[in-house]
Amino acid sequence: MKTIEEINQKIKNGDAVVVTAAEMTLIAKDKDIKTVAEEIDVVTTGTFGAMCSSGVFFNFGHSDPPIKMNKTYLNGVEAYSGLAAVDAYLGATQPNHDLDIGLDYGGAHVIEDLVRGKEINLMTEAYGTDCYPLKKIKAPITLENINQATMVNPRNCYQNYAAATNSTQETLYTYLGTLLPNYGNVTYSSAGELSPLLNDPYFQTIGIGTRIFLCGSAGYIIGEGTQHFTEAERHHGVPITPSGTLMLKGDLKKMDSDFVRGATMPSYGPTLFVGAGIPIPILNEDIALRTSISDEDIGCKIFDYGVPRRTRPVIKETNYQELKSGKIEINGREVPTSPLSSYKRAVKVAEELKKWIQKGEFLLSNPVDLLPNKGQLVKPLNIIKPPKMVCDIERKPVIITHPTDPVKEVAKKLVDNDINHLPVVDKNGKLKGIVTSWDIADAVARGKTKLEEVMTKKVIIAREDEPVDIIARRIDKNDISGLPIIDKDNKVKGMITAEDISRLIGKKNNK
Amino acid sequence: MKAWLRFSTSIVNKSVISDIMKLFDIDFNILKADITPRGGKMLVEIDGPQASESISYMEDKGIEVTPILKVVKKDTDKCLECGACVSLCPVEAISILDDWDIDIDNQKCIGCGFCISSCPTQAIALME
Repeated sequence: MKTIEEINQKIKNGDAVVVTAAEMTLIAKDKDIKTVAEEIDVVTTGTFGAMCSSGVFFNFGHSDPPIKMNKTYLNGVEAYSGLAAVDAYLGATQPNHDLDIGLDYGGAHVIEDLVRGKEINLMTEAYGTDCYPLKKIKAPITLENINQATMVNPRNCYQNYAAATNSTQETLYTYLGTLLPNYGNVTYSSAGELSPLLNDPYFQTIGIGTRIFLCGSAGYIIGEGTQHFTEAERHHGVPITPSGTLMLKGDLKKMDSDFVRGATMPSYGPTLFVGAGIPIPILNEDIALRTSISDEDIGCKIFDYGVPRRTRPVIKETNYQELKSGKIEINGREVPTSPLSSYKRAVKVAEELKKWIQKGEFLLSNPVDLLPNKGQLVKPLNIIKPPKMVCDIERKPVIITHPTDPVKEVAKKLVDNDINHLPVVDKNGKLKGIVTSWDIADAVARGKTKLEEVMTKKVIIAREDEPVDIIARRIDKNDISGLPIIDKDNKVKGMITAEDISRLIGKKNNK
Repeated sequence: MKAWLRFSTSIVNKSVISDIMKLFDIDFNILKADITPRGGKMLVEIDGPQASESISYMEDKGIEVTPILKVVKKDTDKCLECGACVSLCPVEAISILDDWDIDIDNQKCIGCGFCISSCPTQAIALME
């Protein structure tokens, strides 16, 4: 048993034994844990990944005459200024106000530019008061010439995270990166055995006031993060789905752009890559054992992001050794994997923190309170009006046609039923294609007589249990006007068209 | 070797490419092409014993040939080594090295550009 005070004395004397979490895993393979706990004093962890829930509080200083900032923009990115006169909070994921720039330069990019010492254009509007008469100002700012720039990240360092894949026929652009169709790839984002909260899974040493490495300088844990969750399923003591989180604070003025970067997840939005590392004091054997966990013992679930719902189906359970190998098997096929968070820089974070401690520049801190390690649940948000589902749309008789039907007959069917889309099915009622009135016109113009030659075979479909909002997005994304509704056996149950959806919205508004 | 071939408006209607295949002993693979009546360009791979003769012939016929060593270029300052691109490459040209650096094999690269549009920091560019 050691205390933090004893370890700090060793650090001051220059004889503390500090290793990274990856080194600890190797050391503990060859030695018994009792010896390891005695020999090692501190294990440094690290992660460098996209952490959307990040941002910076600013105090810009007062102009003369003064202004009470109401609408505030930094290089065109809005910062929330519903605070005292010249305070504001810039969130990392805020897109640019200029629609032509949009997602390409957002809050995270402003934060990186400030850290790099670049000049930023501050533009702010106000309603004007007797004490703050100015209504609009523009000013160039740099990190140096403003009073405070305090990074406060409401949710960082997720204890484990989901891995993602995509079962649908289309490429998806998500916060877990670009997901190829038909389970074409898998993305994951945890640093695994090096990741801070996976090395102290029950928060035995981590708590409020813990001094940490944050973006190249010393920062602090100020509490559990938002969505902090303690009741996930665990393997080898570590949760296998997203669990605990941290709220972090640091001084932007002291940060290093090697460890904090703006980025844009394609067609998703801006996000901030944050480098964070937590030192774990090896106070006893249990803590030593926890920090020696290896990638193969850290489980992870792969979810289907093709289902845009709160609860996504689990495709497979895996571990970080398999994910980091670059290939994983899904449905009998080998699929490539992508990390999304940089393991190279996570190692750099852990190494840098190790160096600070070895040099005696960084002492460990006793937390004021430990983080909650049980009883923390995540509540869902229940919306007043439940979303309309495909099966809620007024039922119409199912009108279908067969691949061998002559074009002329199909044309008659469209006209007689006053419809524009007709699903094509085989003799078992299974979907084979779709034909529209436009396809029929095209067939007539080109002299084609067989339906098989004119129908669209790759059909975009809707399922009965999908919310209509998702179908509306699918219609827009694929530039189509209607989709066949099919059940799990690929049998056609009806059609849903853009007109059905407009009618549904119209009806909702009229009520 | 890989090269960009540029076609001006005046030669888009000439069958230069099929001519070189008939005239020379070459392996010719089109990786990417975007040619309209107003001209355009093509990324190709040309190998075989008479590759250089075929290039001289194309140049004589008015095609601008720019051999390239790299199809894409990675900006090492912008790259965060996150690895988002690795699983998206259709020809497995991008890999994670032992030191966790990201490597793009320009021999394998076919210039599809998928890594370029998917990079969170726009660190990859097409060499044109």
